[in-house]
Parts: sequence; C-alpha cells; structure tokens
Amino acid sequence: MTATPTLALEVLRAPRVHRADAAFVVSLGVVALMTLAAVFAPWIAPYDPDQVDLSAVYSGPTAAHWLGTDALGRDLLSRMIFGARTALLGPLIVVVSSTILGILLGLLAGWRGGWIDAVLGRVFDVVFAFPALLIAIMAVALFGKGLVAPVIAMSIAYAPFVARLTRSLVTSERSRPYVSAYRVQGFSGGWIATRRVLPNVTPIVGAQSTLNFGYVLAELAALSFLGLGVQAPTADWGAMINEAQAGLLGGHFLPAIVPAVAVVIVVVAVNVIGEEVSDRIGGGIPA
Amino acid sequence: MTAGRRVAGKLGALLLTLFLASLLVFFSRFLVPGDPVSFLLRGRKPTPEAIAQVTAQYGLDLPPWQQYLQWLGGVLVGDFGRSLQYRQDVTTVIGERLPVTLGLVLMAGAMIAIVGLTAGIIAALKRGRVLDRSVLVFLTMLGAIPSFVGSIVLIAVFAVQLGWFPSFGSGEGFLDTLYHLVLPSIALAVVFVVLVGKVTRSSMVDQLGREHVEVATSRGLKRGTVIRRHVLRNAIGPILTVSGLLVAGLLVASSIVEAAFGLAGIGSLLVQSVDRLDFPVVQAIVLFVVFAFVVVNAIIDILEPWIDPRSAAGAGAR
Amino acid sequence: MTLLDISDYTLDLPDGTRLLDGVSLTVAVGETVGLVGESGSGKSLTARSVLGMQPRGATTGGSVRLDGREVLGAPAGDLLAVRRSSAGMVFQDPRAGINPMRTIGDHLTETLRLVDGRSKSDAEARAVELLRAVRLPRPEDHLRQYPHELSGGMLQRVMIAGALTSSPRLLICDEPTTALDVTTQAEIISVLGEQRATRGMGMLFITHDLNLAASICDRVYVMNAGRVEEEGDARRVFRNPQAAYTRRLVAATPTIASIGPLGPVVIGEATDAASAPRSVVELPRAVDAEAPMLDVRSIAKTYHLHGKPPVRAVVDASIEIPLGSALAVVGESGSGKSTLARMIVGLESADTGEILVDGVVRTAMPRRRAERLAHSRSVQMVFQDPYLSLDPRISAGRAIEDTLRLHSTLTSRDARTRVLDLLEQVGLGERHATAVPRTLSGGQRQRVAIARALAVEPDVLVMDEATSALDVSVQAQVLDLVAGIRRERGLTVLFISHDLAVVRRVCEQTVVMRSGEIVERGATATLLERPRHPYTRLLLDSVPRPDWDLDALAAIDRTEGVPA
Repeated sequence: MTATPTLALEVLRAPRVHRADAAFVVSLGVVALMTLAAVFAPWIAPYDPDQVDLSAVYSGPTAAHWLGTDALGRDLLSRMIFGARTALLGPLIVVVSSTILGILLGLLAGWRGGWIDAVLGRVFDVVFAFPALLIAIMAVALFGKGLVAPVIAMSIAYAPFVARLTRSLVTSERSRPYVSAYRVQGFSGGWIATRRVLPNVTPIVGAQSTLNFGYVLAELAALSFLGLGVQAPTADWGAMINEAQAGLLGGHFLPAIVPAVAVVIVVVAVNVIGEEVSDRIGGGIPA
Repeated sequence: MTAGRRVAGKLGALLLTLFLASLLVFFSRFLVPGDPVSFLLRGRKPTPEAIAQVTAQYGLDLPPWQQYLQWLGGVLVGDFGRSLQYRQDVTTVIGERLPVTLGLVLMAGAMIAIVGLTAGIIAALKRGRVLDRSVLVFLTMLGAIPSFVGSIVLIAVFAVQLGWFPSFGSGEGFLDTLYHLVLPSIALAVVFVVLVGKVTRSSMVDQLGREHVEVATSRGLKRGTVIRRHVLRNAIGPILTVSGLLVAGLLVASSIVEAAFGLAGIGSLLVQSVDRLDFPVVQAIVLFVVFAFVVVNAIIDILEPWIDPRSAAGAGAR
Repeated sequence: MTLLDISDYTLDLPDGTRLLDGVSLTVAVGETVGLVGESGSGKSLTARSVLGMQPRGATTGGSVRLDGREVLGAPAGDLLAVRRSSAGMVFQDPRAGINPMRTIGDHLTETLRLVDGRSKSDAEARAVELLRAVRLPRPEDHLRQYPHELSGGMLQRVMIAGALTSSPRLLICDEPTTALDVTTQAEIISVLGEQRATRGMGMLFITHDLNLAASICDRVYVMNAGRVEEEGDARRVFRNPQAAYTRRLVAATPTIASIGPLGPVVIGEATDAASAPRSVVELPRAVDAEAPMLDVRSIAKTYHLHGKPPVRAVVDASIEIPLGSALAVVGESGSGKSTLARMIVGLESADTGEILVDGVVRTAMPRRRAERLAHSRSVQMVFQDPYLSLDPRISAGRAIEDTLRLHSTLTSRDARTRVLDLLEQVGLGERHATAVPRTLSGGQRQRVAIARALAVEPDVLVMDEATSALDVSVQAQVLDLVAGIRRERGLTVLFISHDLAVVRRVCEQTVVMRSGEIVERGATATLLERPRHPYTRLLLDSVPRPDWDLDALAAIDRTEGVPA
C-alpha cells in the first residue's frame, strides 16, 4: 500500500475530521461566567466598585485585592465584575435589534425584488459607507456622551450587513424549485416567504449575527476608551483603560491590561461560539 | 455593454451614493431637538457675534434645503466652514493633520496585506492540516485584539518596558515619523489582518476545489504553476473587495490609535472635536471618511472586468 | 499492445471507506473502452487515478500501469511526465473545466509554453491547428475569446483540443457529453472518434449512458459500487449481459431503437418479466377527442432582459391533450419547453394566447386565493430535480399534509390517513412520512414530489424533466410508477423531456420544439419512425443507439476514418 500524492480533488475529499470541541466548550464557559458576573455583580463583587481608598493606590495583587487596585485605590476585580454589565448589555441590544431589523429588510428586499430591492440596496450601500464606529461617534456628537445614542446608532449601522446576507439567501431561496412547487400547490407568496423561506434562512443569519457580537463589544469599549461612551467613574472596561493610560506610562500595567485582556478573551470566546454555530448550521459567509 | 458606458454607470452610482451620504451628514443635525444655534454653540458663550457667525455659516435663517445647498456649495469648493475650537478654516485644520493619518493607514495597510495574504495562502495550501488550523487560531486571536487593546499592550511592552519605540507623538522628519508610526500601525493593523487572511483562505480554497484547477493539474502543470496561474489569479476578486471595505474601518479605527499614541491626525481630531463640541469639524471628517470609502470601492468596482472578464459582459459569476 | 493496465486496484479513504475494490481493466492502443456505471460507482475515480489524481490522503493498492510505467506511488516528477505525454483527459463540464478568467488561447498554449518551452507564436500556431482539428469555425478569433463567450459545445471542443496539446497516447473522457444537448453530443462524439482514429490513441470513455457506450465502444466495463461487475465486447455485454447488475441496468435503460428487428429482442433477452419495460400505457377508458383536458391555444412568451435583445422563449405554441392521455414535449435546452410548462402551471404569464384546463380558462397567473387554489387543483407539476424541489426543512409527510390542508378542511387525523394513503400509492411507507428530504434517496424524493402533486387530485400533471436527474435504474422505477398511476386514475400528463427514448416509453403523442416553436407533432411511434421535419430527424440521428446493424457499423467506421 502506498500513500498517494495529494491533489485538488475536493469533491472526493475525505470528510473533515470533526475538530475537538474543547475550544467551543471553554468559550461557552467564559460567556456563561461573564453573564453570571454581570447579572449578580452586586453579590459577587468583593468591594463597591467606586470605593476610593487612597491608602491602597496601585496595590498590585494582594490577598485583599486579587487583581490589585487602580490609581484611586479602587478594587480592580470589583470594577471588572461591574464592568461586565455594560460590556455585555450594549452588544446584546445591538445584535438583537440589528438582526431583527436586518432580517425584515432583507426579506422584503429579497422576496419582493424590483424597485423595493433597488431602493433598499442603495440605502444599504450608503450606510455601508459609514462604519459602525463612525456612526456611533456621530451619534455622540449629536446627542452627547453615553451609550444610549451609540447603541441605537450601531443597531442601525449593523442592520444592512444582516439585511444584505438575508437578501442574498432569500433571493437564492426564492429561485429554488421548492418555492415554485409551493406556488404551484396554491400557497400564497406571503405564506411561502414568512412560513417557509424565513425559517430556512433565519438560522444561518442568526449564526452570522452572533459573529457581530465581538465587533460591537470591541467598538463600544473603544468608544468608552475614547472618553465618548461610558463616563468615568462608572466601572466600564473601555473607560477603565482610558483612566489607566496615565499610569501605564508610569509602569502600572495591571489597571489597563486587565480590562484589555478581558475584552480579548470575551471577543475570542464569542467568535469561537459564533463560528462553531455557523459551521454546524452549514451556512458560511458567501464570498 | 461597452466599457465606457459601464464606467459611466459606476460613476453615476458613485455620485448618487455620495449625494445621499451628504444628505445624511448634513441633515443628521436636524435629528437633534431644539434650537440649532444653541446646538451648534453648546458649551460656548452665545455671544451675539458667535450667534451671527454660525447663523451666517449655516444659513440658519434659510429654509432647510437652502441651508443644504449653501453647505454643499461650500463643500464642493473645499469650504467646510470654520472650526469653533481653533477659529480657523476647517479645511486648514484637517489639512495639517491629514498626512499623519494617511501615513498611519498606508503603513497599517501594507502590514495587513503582507501578513493577511501570507497567512491566508499558507492556510489554503495546507487546508485541513495542523498548519492550517494553527494559522486560523492565530488569525482568530489577532481578530480579537481591538486597536485600543493593541495600543495599550504595545505601549506597555515596547515603549515603557523595553523602550524600543516612542509611545507618544508623530516625530519630526520622514524617518523619525516612520519610526514613530511603527507601533501605532501595528496596533491598527492587527484586528484587520484576520479579515484579509480569512477571505484569502476561503477564496483560494474555493478555487482549489474547482474543476478547472483539476484540469490544469491533469495537463501536467507543476503545482506551483497551477496555484499561481489558476488559484491565486482567480482568487483575487473577493480579496480586493474585502480590502476595499477595510478602508473606512481603518480610517475610523485610526482615531483610537491616534488617541492612544497622541498622534495629531484627523482621527484624534475627530474625537477631540466631538469632545469639544466642534460640530463643523466632525461633519467634515465624517464626510471625508465616507468619501474615501466610496471612491476606493468605486475604483475597485471599475477595475472588476480586468479581474473577472465575465463581469464586463454582465454574465453572472459562476 | 496494452496501453493502460489497471489490475486489482483498490482505493480507501482515510476513514476506511473503500471506494474502489479490486478494479482491473485494460486499454489497448487504438481501442475505445467504455467504463459504464451509475453515480457513485467509482468510474470517475478510476479514470482520475490513471493520472495520479486520487483524493487527498487516500490509500491505494494493486497497480495502475500506463504505457508500461507504474503510476501508483510514482514520484511527483514521474506523474508530471505521465500527464504531459502519456495521457490526456477531457472532463464533464467544460464551463467549469476551463478557467473562466483566462482566454481560450491562454488555456491552449499554457502547457505548450510552460512545459514544452515553445515560443508564444509557435504555441499559438499549434493551438490554431488543434482548434481547427476539433472543427471550431474561427480558430484565430477564438484564441482571444473568454470561455463565457462560447457555447457549451464549443467549449467542450476547446477542452478536447487542450487535452490533445500533449499528443497523448491515451485519451480519458469523463462524461464528456453529459452536460450537452443531444445534437451537440453527436458532434462531440464524432470529433472524438475522428481524433482517436487519426492519432491512433487509446480511449477510455466514462459514461452513465449505456446507449452511448454501446454505440461507440469496442469493449466495455460495467462498474457498480467500486467493483467491475462485468466486462467484455460491447456488443456482447449489452445483448447478453451476464451479471445481474448489468441485466438490471440494460433493462432499465430506455432505448429509442425499438422499431428495428433487434431492439425489443435485446431487451426481451435481458429482462425477466417483472421488470420488463412497458412501452405504451393501456388507457383505462376511451379517449374523448372532442373536449381536450388541456387545451393550449397559440400562447407566446418573450423575455425582455435589460440591455439584451428580447428572447422569444415560446412562439405561438398550441397543444391539446385528451383526457387520460399523455403528451410529450421534446426539445433541447433553450427550446422553450420549460417556459411552456411554467405558463401552464401559472408560474409565468403568457403574453398572448389562451390556456384551458377542463374547459376553464387558466391563462392568467393566479392572484387571489380562490384563483390560486382552483388553478393548483387543475394543474400540478413535478419538477426536474427532487433534491431542490422539496423544502429541506419539511418532512415528506408534512409537505403532503400542508398541501392537503390548504385545499380542504380535513381534520388532522383524516389528513394523516390520507398522507399515508398517498405515500403508499407512490410506493413509500409510514416511515418515510417523518423523513426530511436529506435522508431520502433521489428516487424516494421524486416519489414524494409525485405524491404531493397527486394530493390535490389535479386534472393535469405536468412533469418537467422529472426523471432526468435520476440514475437510469431509478428513472425506470419512477416511469413505471407514473405509468401505473395513469392506468389507475386516468391522469392527463404533459411530459417535458429532452430524452426521446424516455418519451417513447411514456407518451402516446409527442411534439418537438425548437427555439420556442413547435416544429413537428404526431403519435410518438410514428414520429420516431418517420420524422418529417429535418430537425426531428437531426434529433433522432443524434441519439446514440446500440445498433448492431452492419451497415450502421460501417457508417461509423467511415466517419472515424475521415482525416483531420
């Protein structure tokens, strides 16, 4: 027996060995832990996140302060736990609302086609030219600092991405014979679109949308980092990094690095979950 | 359809998008409830002179569509009004800072292209193997490092701890500027590498599975030749498209990096202007980012027939 | 002299699946050898192995010797040499097989320039020569064209020319005409035969089409599930199949050559009574010629596509089908036959003309609920590809039940009983009711589609290429099923097909369409025997037939002998 040379015979390619789900399970654990921390923050956090203790500035990790304290002697761990609230809630709202809005618009454009599709397509093109973070910054410029305006703005900014994916899926579904078969059997277009096509495309769109969660989380944290989102002294990861920048140059790394690493871990976890779910559902991003 | 008509059509679409975007940028102000004068002069003393100035600049005594036309007329000749914080023309303020941002974006773009393409090509050629999976994990990790996190970590390690690079400012002279931009460029590039890397991989894997690649192989071409002439060549389209989409993201994310590294570019200017309620500058920068994005993507769109001859004939991609 | 010698060749995937199990075959110089089998039989895999193109990570055993050289386990350099000089391959789909982003000239000259090191002008001269040899009309112009500018038939000639650039000793053809229309197929086959003869190549011809294999091959190998079931002289294998599998395959294959003295005899010898094909269905009741069930009166449809000249899909077409009768509409791609079907079922609107079903006008696309339901009760349709015409998420039983409940006020229990009843009628059982399409085979899916179409008890059933996506043995079962249903219910059928042999089995009447027009109509038997219109004659002549008549063989030899 001999091993044969490898060639591009993808059709006959051996079925992919199912990759270990360890990363997926760990990621689920991270997100679950984060969610618990956010929900039960007042009960879990060892200190009041805003409690200043000028006698214990930059304490470094100690038995009393596991992650140390910041420039004002506030307990870093407690601030991290409370910070998880804004870190999760903002992206959750943006992803859910942009997904619902996007699916509705995408279904409308893809199913009806014609001028509705053309007009919506043009509108999407215009919104694409405004990156989500830019729209969020504009929202702050108009309505003032905080998370409310950016969250609404980003819900709108992300909707066209969802809508475009939905539209392309719906358009390809619409041209499939199974839809023609429903028509021939006498089902109405509205019934086919909402009762049959929509449930067929929603899992794929939903899985793709979860991949937006990480981006939104990073962007909202960036906004707070820029001092335009959540305002100090409220405990928020982005705002914490912003506050800790001065200390960073003085060699006090923890107050900046801890929230930074937390952001990375959560984004990785969310992306791993999103990709795994997309893979299982079988709908990749159409190139 | 002739090439000329096609290009004209694309240019028409470009102008339409820019027009609609300008409407959005201009009329966004009307979403804010209340008196426009007090909005524009938030945080400043509403002296009669100041009121007279913004009223004249925005034509606030005119009906909205005339305000728009007046503003658009200015924009088309490069007049974005006056900055409230600098008491200079907005164009001058932005012009001074543009080179830093462009340098930063170009350098980051080069890094993204080199690392992203290399990683994507390696992963595609070794698809399903350990190396492929390692590259994918590497890319996923990079993709989870937002610019502000990258900035913090780079400053902590390379500027503060090791002292190899400066942590602040954009330097003097060409080489010094380049040196000052190394860390910021890396911080900016990191999160975008994953997009180019993954699209390169998936586009190449898609082509590797095509029958024309099999045909080329069956004719006795060397693997390298097949990859170069049939796989890479055909995979360019989606890679270019994604790269075009990055332009806007890079320009906006540069505001984060510029803020972290204290660079005087238009990104930090945008943040500062939002902070200092300098709305004319915000409007101008937003419009600039949108303009850059739309133009770059229109160029890629116009180039498409040279990349995929089928698109010129209007034939659907197969 | 033996050119290709495969002996006891096995191929296993890394997960242990055995795809090829002891395949042995030989091809001699100047010989045409057929490799016949249904999908998944391993025929394409065997062919690719000759060029060392196995799936990644597969393990192989046995030996594959080409021109005296062992291919299995050969170093990369030797494989390149084999591909460059010993064997060339023509693939199934030229649209997919030629790089769409490079010119035809690029495709043809790339090996000449990069492998043989010829100059550009030298390589182009050779390319023009080859394009002329495969009878392309304007070789010099084609060099500058892109694949999307050429038709499928022209592209397949380019593919053949490309395979010939290396002057191979063995030409492997993997279903080279399956994606093409029958008249184009005939042209390609003659080009292949001509080139094989003038160059003295050996040819390994892979096909699922028994008739085609029988008409061009000296010897054939019949493959099934990774094994060679039977081999031998083509004539002997098809006239007197030994292996059970071959017998079933031969019996299931519809043939057009039934009229001649040998046709029915061949089939009769090959089959047992149970699976004998029924050629024409006996009607349950007298046909009432006065009032046709389906009456299509000069309908027309023109598509106006943006920026392109209008396409006249259907031009002034009229057909009538009496109650309980079956009419075939035969044509090649682009003939307008599918558009005709879609107008009848209300998926497209006719520009002009009238469609009557059971005396009621059904021309307009239905809008209101009552119209929709009435239209769908009058005409139902079975689509071409059962993999695509069933909703992937909906189980077979649910699909039928949905339709039943849309059209009636059955209780859930009654609906379910009716579903099982319908599934039974199409030869499926209770366990299929809960199955989603993914878990059903192609034939089972098409049965579900038929059951669903019958659920509303339509007056007319339109079958649009309803068996062309199926393997021949499955196709035969589905055709038998349809014949049975017609016998029992007296269903009126409009049968759209490109395959004259299938039509012969199913329909009493046939119309032939070309470019949107009906060019000939008549009783199927008469039309196949004595075609009047030149296009019908061309169609018939293009159908490959296992014709053992000496005169016909001589004719084939003559075409092969024409020098390029």
